[in-house]
Amino acid sequence: MDSLTIFLILLALGFVFGKLAEGRHYRSILAREEMLLRLPATSCKKPMGKTLPVGHAELVHGHVVISVDYFKQLLASLRNFFGGTIQSYETLLDRARREAVLRLKESCPTANEILNLRIETSSISKGNSGDRVGSVEVLAYGTAIYYREVSSQHSGL
Amino acid sequence: MNYQPSLPEHNDNVSHQHPVREFIILVSGVLAIVFMGYWALGLFVDVAVDYLSPEQEAQLQTKINIDWDWGEDVMPETQAKLQSLVDSLQPCVPLPYPITVNLVRPSENPDMINALAFPGGKMVVFAGLLDAVQSTNGLMFILAHELGHFKNRDHLRALGRGIVLSILTLLIFGGDSDFLAATINQRTANYSQSRESQADQTALNALQCHFGHVGGATELFESLQSQEGESDLGFAHYFSTHPELQQRIDNLQRLAQERGYSQDKTQELMQH
Ligand SMILES: [Zn+2]
Repeated sequence: MDSLTIFLILLALGFVFGKLAEGRHYRSILAREEMLLRLPATSCKKPMGKTLPVGHAELVHGHVVISVDYFKQLLASLRNFFGGTIQSYETLLDRARREAVLRLKESCPTANEILNLRIETSSISKGNSGDRVGSVEVLAYGTAIYYREVSSQHSGL
Repeated sequence: MNYQPSLPEHNDNVSHQHPVREFIILVSGVLAIVFMGYWALGLFVDVAVDYLSPEQEAQLQTKINIDWDWGEDVMPETQAKLQSLVDSLQPCVPLPYPITVNLVRPSENPDMINALAFPGGKMVVFAGLLDAVQSTNGLMFILAHELGHFKNRDHLRALGRGIVLSILTLLIFGGDSDFLAATINQRTANYSQSRESQADQTALNALQCHFGHVGGATELFESLQSQEGESDLGFAHYFSTHPELQQRIDNLQRLAQERGYSQDKTQELMQH
């Protein structure tokens, strides 16, 4: 019964620490999203609104790797059995996507606008199927543009 | 078109259902499937065991040779006497393979009152049983009861279910051989109440066939019952695998009455 005990301990640890980490991460995401609201990031190919001469543009990116906890992993593998939406991975991917965009924005705090924002996801897993560590990488990249005449109005649209 | 920077009011990309609830639902689903599988396979084992011909059964018995480690042979002369008692029951409980009796006194529980039927035609009698019965008839009833388990193929059923259970635990928890052996051992010693009463019935018929009366059939159960209040001695185990003493006594009495079996004087137990 030792393996069962270890399994239950891992499950409880995964649940508690996973929940704590997720709560902390969401609080941080919400605060930083509010702070960086002034910097628009869109999937448009051209600047929106009135056209201003662009001083320079650069490729910016932000990426993040987040690991899934044992509890979520078990929940997902149970879902594999029955089918249906894997709800336990939804918050994981939501956090990863938002964190990647935040990091992208934080890498160019003086930019006026980020264009052509793209987000890509890939899974990183190591080990064989028995004790696989499930992690997800989200990469966000886009073009940061800086207008030549930076007016007092910061986001010059 | 103007860009309006704003934060979303709700997060629509995540479900707000509680994960523990989902976990409980999914785990109980898996458990339900496992239990249904165990139940269905157990049913299959029962049917398959009934289909075995006596020749096939004998063949199976000789193939199963589990080396149960019960420690040193205690009292070899008494064991030989028990063996001859079991052999003398053979005409009344015919079996297609020989039964070997092992008399054991487990060091961790020397007063244990029990007898068990194991695959491979091996009958294990705990030495505590010999102290608990008063007459040869009473002892013969217990021996015949175990022979009844052999005759009804209960040990094969239990073994089959044990294997099914082991495979299921292997699939779920992975290979934990200690756990596997424990489940096989435990399952082999556990019979359902209906299998027990059937073995009792076989034993009662065997007593009538051997002695011409069924005196002493309920002797052990009655003495266990009178000891029941005193303390939890070795017979606690016998209660767990052999349920409801009073019910068994009543069943035996009723059966004896129905069949017109008389209850004459019992023979004194052999010395050991
Ligand atoms: Zn029994």
